[in-house]
Amino acid sequence: MTGSHADPRAVAETSHTEAAEDLAQIRASVAEVLDGQADLRRTHEVMVGEQGYDPLLHELLTAELGLLGLVVPEHLGGLGLDVAAATAVIEELGARLVPGALATSLTAILAARALGPNAEPLLARVVDEQLTLAVALAEDGAGWDLEQTATRATGAGDEWALTGTKTVVAGVEAARVVLVTARNPGGELGVYAVDLAADGVDVRTHMTLDQTRRLSTVHLRGAAASRVDAPGGEGARVLLDHVRAMLALESAAAARACLDLTVDYLKVREQFGRPIGSFQALKHRCADLAVAVAGARATADHLVTTLRTGAATRSHDAALAKLVCADTLMTVAAEAIQLHGGIGFTFEHHAHLFFKRGKSTQLLAGSPTAVRAEVAALAGL
Amino acid sequence: MSDEQFRAEIRGWLQEALTGPFAEAVGTGGEGREHEAHELRREWERHLGRAGWIGLSWPTEYGGRPATLAQQVIFHEEYARAGAPGRLGHMSEQLLGPTLLAFGTPEQKARFLPRITSGEDIWCQGYSEPGAGSDLAGVRTRAVRRGDHYVITGQKVWTSLAHLADWCFVLCRTDPGSTRHAGLSYLLVPMDQPGVTVRPITQLTGTSEFNEVFFDEAVAAVEHRVGAEGEGWKVAMGTLGFERGVSTLGQQIGFRRRLDAVIARAHSNGAWLEPALRDRLVDAYIGLEVMRHSAVRLLASAGEGLSGLEASISKLQWATWNRSLGELAVDVEGAGALLTGPGYELDDAQTHFLFSRANTIYGGSNEIQRNIIAERLLGLPR
Ligand SMILES: Cc1cc2nc3c(=O)[nH]c(=O)nc-3n(C[C@H](O)[C@H](O)[C@H](O)COP(=O)(O)OP(=O)(O)OC[C@H]3O[C@@H](n4cnc5c(N)ncnc54)[C@H](O)[C@@H]3O)c2cc1C
Repeated sequence: MTGSHADPRAVAETSHTEAAEDLAQIRASVAEVLDGQADLRRTHEVMVGEQGYDPLLHELLTAELGLLGLVVPEHLGGLGLDVAAATAVIEELGARLVPGALATSLTAILAARALGPNAEPLLARVVDEQLTLAVALAEDGAGWDLEQTATRATGAGDEWALTGTKTVVAGVEAARVVLVTARNPGGELGVYAVDLAADGVDVRTHMTLDQTRRLSTVHLRGAAASRVDAPGGEGARVLLDHVRAMLALESAAAARACLDLTVDYLKVREQFGRPIGSFQALKHRCADLAVAVAGARATADHLVTTLRTGAATRSHDAALAKLVCADTLMTVAAEAIQLHGGIGFTFEHHAHLFFKRGKSTQLLAGSPTAVRAEVAALAGL
Repeated sequence: MSDEQFRAEIRGWLQEALTGPFAEAVGTGGEGREHEAHELRREWERHLGRAGWIGLSWPTEYGGRPATLAQQVIFHEEYARAGAPGRLGHMSEQLLGPTLLAFGTPEQKARFLPRITSGEDIWCQGYSEPGAGSDLAGVRTRAVRRGDHYVITGQKVWTSLAHLADWCFVLCRTDPGSTRHAGLSYLLVPMDQPGVTVRPITQLTGTSEFNEVFFDEAVAAVEHRVGAEGEGWKVAMGTLGFERGVSTLGQQIGFRRRLDAVIARAHSNGAWLEPALRDRLVDAYIGLEVMRHSAVRLLASAGEGLSGLEASISKLQWATWNRSLGELAVDVEGAGALLTGPGYELDDAQTHFLFSRANTIYGGSNEIQRNIIAERLLGLPR
């Protein structure tokens, strides 16, 4: 994978080389661990298992590789690396459809970094206590429309109590703290951190259509919470944008992996005395998928740059990338099943994992229709 | 010079230049509009050349000027943003120029490049023939060597701007017994000579920008052969690799203007309230964003221009996108799009709708691009 430049003007600069090498190294070491411990066969085992994620792998990635501290600022005990480091890890996890809360944690950490000083105690805890985080935004009826958030926060200062129900929360089964959007008595929307072990927190984890991504309902009845964003800010929006970013990055990488899987098969599967990949009808479909994957990759890369530079287009870029990348994964995965023939329709084969991941990515953090309308509004169309 | 200074300079120059007589040239020319304002646009080429805006990044000895990749992009952006006239010299500058820089002799460079950078010579591309389109290796036009000349006989077709061009770069067969890629040569042929006949072909837009070109013992000097005799295929493929490149980002500013116009129209006539149309419009916007990010990404890693493979991806993207937007433009218009002006005079939406069908055919059709991507990027078997 190559690094990205937001702007052709950056082309001439070579000062990024060192950072790019660091990044490549992080990516490579994560990939090495995942290739050994989390190939798609392992994903199959884990997703049908009791817990829905792999605690040993989780331990390896967090405690041993120290990935949770990757982008936490140095003065809070982290490595203080660039946004790109966390996003590279999210991509590696996404490419292998790894179940669990590492991607959501890194997402929450990136969001917390962008929230300002109120989030610093939480970030310090992330490193000290190896906290895995989840993000709870959606509610019944409201979906991901922040305006309609009904969860209530009562209290003041650093002592808050949350009441409400959050649905389709990803990664809670492997998390210890959840970031929750809620409204204070003044009607203001904010972001709060809740320990999942606290009194008044009840988590129900569901079986899911996308078995690689378990989802939960989180009931909060006066659960103790601390506020992590700045009053008067746009913390909830920051959170939503980062969740979309995660989904975009994951699915751009997954789409690429799924295309590779398919192309490899077309090169070896023979019918009518020749590899089926030599049939133009199939070749052309793969070429169209390759173009779509390249486009998804470009929007994802652009989004990483947006996050890195703190550009004002964050909401727009995140919505657009989530839409494009999820749709691309869906398309590639649907074609993958078809192009594999009978084997593609089996549970044993991996194609359906991408297909199901594609659908959950499309529907999480805003449906394609809703996000399309949002993009139109944000772009002023 | 910083990029911002460069941008300010070209922007200022365009603002000033597109006044007076050239004010009339604004918005003329380009796809489906090649019939517009020939003389004025020809004069515009020279004006552009005199000011040193042709051949950015080419050596100064040939009239070029030093410019980084980013500055070339900026030039195309500002050019499109200003609505400056469609270039008559785009094939000269973007196809032949780079080909000569890569494959030409010092004499050829000295002879032809300064006349391109000064906007003096207009070139056309003589590749396609009735029997050789997608399969260019089927070229049959013959060139027989007689002393210090080649004598050329054969027919080219779909030759854009041949009716206006001074020169044509022609792919022909110099080895009579040869087939396919071997035995071809790349010749530079003056159009203004007895053995050359240009016959315009009317396109489905009712206008004509491409032509049939007949060579009946037309001549080209041996010293005007680019590359070795029999190695024309290599040179021709080199040219194809230069098609587009840094102009893709500027081209997208033009696309954005068109998209904005279609969306504005949808707002004014109520089409925006039609959910199915609105979704397509938003998707068009998203598609353009994807192309923009893709182009930036490719250029960032491309160094000079795009490789053939990258060019294939972007060609497939933009050609398909623009064709869809053309369809959308008339759908937004509704039944009103069915009426034309007198003499089949087309408005912007109609021109776009009709002409964009060519995007997916010329410069390597969508099918050919898909073959290239499948075989060279994905490694699928032939
Ligand atoms: C507006 C316009 C301007 C042009 N300007 C120029 C110019 O200036 N100079 C010049 O030399 N040429 C020019 N061309 C010609 C252009 O490059 C050719 O039209 C193009 O290469 C296609 O060739 P063809 O028309 O012979 O179609 P064909 O090659 O006969 O193709 C017909 C159809 O078959 C498909 N096809 C062919 N081979 C395959 C294959 N292997 N696999 C799958 N599908 C295939 C094609 O994609 C197409 O859909 C221009 C064309 C247009 C439309």
